Amino acid sequence: MAVTEQPRVEPGQWNLIERVHPAWWVLGFILLVMPLLANDFWLFQVFGWTFILGMIALSMMFLAGYGGMVSLIQMTVAALGGYMVAILGTSGVAEISQGLPWWVYVPAAILIAAAFGTLVGALAVRTEGIYTIMITLAIASAFFYFARQNYGLFNGYSGFNLVVPPMLFGVDWRGAVPFYYLTLGCAVLSYAAVVYVSRSPFGLALQGVRDNPRRMAALGYSVNAHRIAAYTFASAIAAVGGILLVWQNAQISPGTAGIPAVIDILVIAVVGGIKRPIGPFIGALIYVVLRTFSPDVLLAFGLSGERFKLLIGMGFLIVVFFSPDGVLGLWEKWQARKPRDPLKGGR
Amino acid sequence: MGREPLLQRFASRHPIWTLLVAIVAAGLLWLIFAPWSDGLEDAIGKKKVFLNAVFGGVTLGALYFLVAAGFTLIFGLMRNVNLAHGSLYLLGGYLGFEVSEATGSWLLAFPVVFVVVAILGLLLQHVVFRRMEGQELRQTMVTIGLSVVLADIMLWIWGGQSYTILTPDLLSGPVELPVISSIRADTGDVIWFKFPAVRIAILIAAIVIGVAMWLVLNRSRLGMLIRAGVDDREMLAASGVRIQYVFLAVFAFGAGLAGIGGIVGGTFQSLTPGEDTRFLLASLVVVIVGGMGSIPGAALGAVIIGLAEQLGLVYAPTYSVVFTFLIMAVVLAFRPQGLLGAGR
Amino acid sequence: MDGSRNTAGRLGSVSSGNALELRGVTKMFGALAAISDVTMSVRPGERRAVLGSNGAGKTTLFNCVTGDFLPTSGTIRLFGEDVTAFPAYERIRRGLRRTYQISLLFGGLTVADNVYLACRGVSRGRFSLLRPRRGDVLTSRAAELIEAVHLTAARDSLVANLSYGQQRQLEIALALAGAPRFILFDEPAAGLSPTERQELVAILTGLPGHIGFIIIEHDMDVALRVAESVTMMHNGRIFKEGTPTEIENDPEVQELYLGDGSHAHA
Repeated sequence: MAVTEQPRVEPGQWNLIERVHPAWWVLGFILLVMPLLANDFWLFQVFGWTFILGMIALSMMFLAGYGGMVSLIQMTVAALGGYMVAILGTSGVAEISQGLPWWVYVPAAILIAAAFGTLVGALAVRTEGIYTIMITLAIASAFFYFARQNYGLFNGYSGFNLVVPPMLFGVDWRGAVPFYYLTLGCAVLSYAAVVYVSRSPFGLALQGVRDNPRRMAALGYSVNAHRIAAYTFASAIAAVGGILLVWQNAQISPGTAGIPAVIDILVIAVVGGIKRPIGPFIGALIYVVLRTFSPDVLLAFGLSGERFKLLIGMGFLIVVFFSPDGVLGLWEKWQARKPRDPLKGGR
Repeated sequence: MGREPLLQRFASRHPIWTLLVAIVAAGLLWLIFAPWSDGLEDAIGKKKVFLNAVFGGVTLGALYFLVAAGFTLIFGLMRNVNLAHGSLYLLGGYLGFEVSEATGSWLLAFPVVFVVVAILGLLLQHVVFRRMEGQELRQTMVTIGLSVVLADIMLWIWGGQSYTILTPDLLSGPVELPVISSIRADTGDVIWFKFPAVRIAILIAAIVIGVAMWLVLNRSRLGMLIRAGVDDREMLAASGVRIQYVFLAVFAFGAGLAGIGGIVGGTFQSLTPGEDTRFLLASLVVVIVGGMGSIPGAALGAVIIGLAEQLGLVYAPTYSVVFTFLIMAVVLAFRPQGLLGAGR
Repeated sequence: MDGSRNTAGRLGSVSSGNALELRGVTKMFGALAAISDVTMSVRPGERRAVLGSNGAGKTTLFNCVTGDFLPTSGTIRLFGEDVTAFPAYERIRRGLRRTYQISLLFGGLTVADNVYLACRGVSRGRFSLLRPRRGDVLTSRAAELIEAVHLTAARDSLVANLSYGQQRQLEIALALAGAPRFILFDEPAAGLSPTERQELVAILTGLPGHIGFIIIEHDMDVALRVAESVTMMHNGRIFKEGTPTEIENDPEVQELYLGDGSHAHA
């Protein structure tokens, strides 16, 4: 699975220094010192959003890449996590928000959203392949319409505003620099978790279920149980992404879980590449940059700034046509073209 | 798609369910045709409201059937989950609006829109999907990309406001149906139920189209090829049939149906951005409930979902969406292939 | 339920019942009866061969026993327990194993991963999120298994890059994972060279005595050398049962299969 040149490792080893390619260290360093290089807008709006969307897309990538299940419910799970923070914590809608402390509502939101994801998984795993897309899309739509109509819990069309992170250690976590590090930290943790789990017994079994469910059943695995458990794991990651999202926007409304948002996550995951966990983050960066700066580009061409959706849609189509494995796929094809070293045999 | 007598088979295997369904159906028929007592009306509201909801639900189901039938055919035969189906619906609606505005004829919009959207479907199948034979996931992604692009183009051309297609004079106004609405207490005169004529016309048209589709599928050579292809695509291709022509025909037809569904929807309701998503979702739910690749399934699912939506809207407005979702979840939990879907 | 301990050994010696018992098992596909009214018993540790021409129903029989699908009627008992309605993984966790006519392996994973998965499948910790530590018991068991089928040199190769013979060896390794009590071998010799066939026979005859198996084979040579009893199937029914010598010399069998090429090497 790893393409870089490193010594073959047992399923167990986790030897940091030897294993990690130098490129990662460079990237890590740049990310750490970014606040010195970039302004507040870039830190909060571009990178913050990239990490958040990347996490939600990572959750989709885990299910699709390792589990072979393309699920469109991840954005909904994230939104539910965000909604729970607003409902259980503080917001501008005093009649509904419970005002619980953060160390109650954050875990509660993650649990509730993960439970929802597990439930959807239980419904979706009884069918295969494209049916999963249909069913998860239908459930995601149902959630959107329900949240929009329900005023008792979700506050309907308006949703919740003034949802901000708690003031911890005297830091305003919604400030540009703290928020950058918060989202960076969560993104790194979820990325590391996915990479680690992918070679754990659970992760290996999930890939086995992806490649050959019949064989896995004949090896003693309950295929459905594994798939559902995968939904739980992925939903936990999406839920964290959703909490960060509601804090970033300081508000949440049904549109956060609307079909366009759901499809955007799919676009991000596919464009980045669903075979490896870095793909979703690449896709998220491309999406966020396009989304933020294309209106200006479009205006320069005399088109309305609103046509960015058209750009993204066409970009997505081009990627699916020519490189179904996304940007990662292009990278791997380019790598494969490099001439082999006649002495070493490898690249 | 219709082998042994389905009803007999179902009745013999599941006697309790059959009894329950028969009771519910009988109850519904009684509620519709028998005059209501005052006590009943005090309890659940006027009969006219109920009748409006029921007929509204059935005619909405007719609209859903038109759109979902094409969707289920395309999936059943070509295993292509066409998530751009809703966009075809909306495009058909907008085009229908333009045609009826330009020519002043509502009826003329139908053949024109059918042909135009069918040609678009033909192009899509021939240029795009044919190259992705067997890569179901990739095809689905392409349809998603297409839906995004089409939605934005339509937004560009027609903007965000809502359009309604005017009902032709011939069909505007109510028609009287042989269903008792109420009985005047003083004179004992029967007041018959009145319902918009255009909706009844669409219901009849949908039934005719549905029956015609069923006949073609079950009695014609083309239909036999399609059914064989749904059962086993490789066999059909191996038997020398020019399977690509069958695919083209089915995709074009399905797309055309979605297009004229747009005209109907534009007349019943309105056309706005977002309706494409709504009708895609409705098609998905109808087909999940009714069964993939099954025309009778699409009809059954459409009627159930249409009724659930309308009855829910009238009697429990906040939760009508939940009803639809609950029905879908229950079907998924107990019969994942859909009510009339082929068992897997 | 942990098959990786001594349970299998204990049960193997104590049980007086049959390892596998089929009663009246029928499987219909639509109007076609793939197998009809099959009744057979295999004792623990017994080595049985199921022979018959193509279409006789042998693989369908295996699929019913493993639980790939439910039989239309009849019962299946595994070590005395009625498993007819059990899903496949429940049967596997009770000691049943199977190899496939066409290797069902995980092409994108290495040999080591494949065997590890097989070992994990029948032990605890299937859902463990923690990577195994160095010196983990299962990892060393997997290494032993790989050694047993002579694949140690290839342990880090992707299965997709193995030769056909190596893949068949891996297929056998997967069936030996954990503590199997009864194995179904579906045409293990198919496509193997004569030397590889010898190795296969050696592995099969060298299996511990408490492990019973049924082998489906077209290669009569391999089948009759490893089996102590034979069941012949024809048109979905059991046609004859007996020892290898009895079957070889039976006139009815000869009439049906003479000239079928069944005495030639596959």
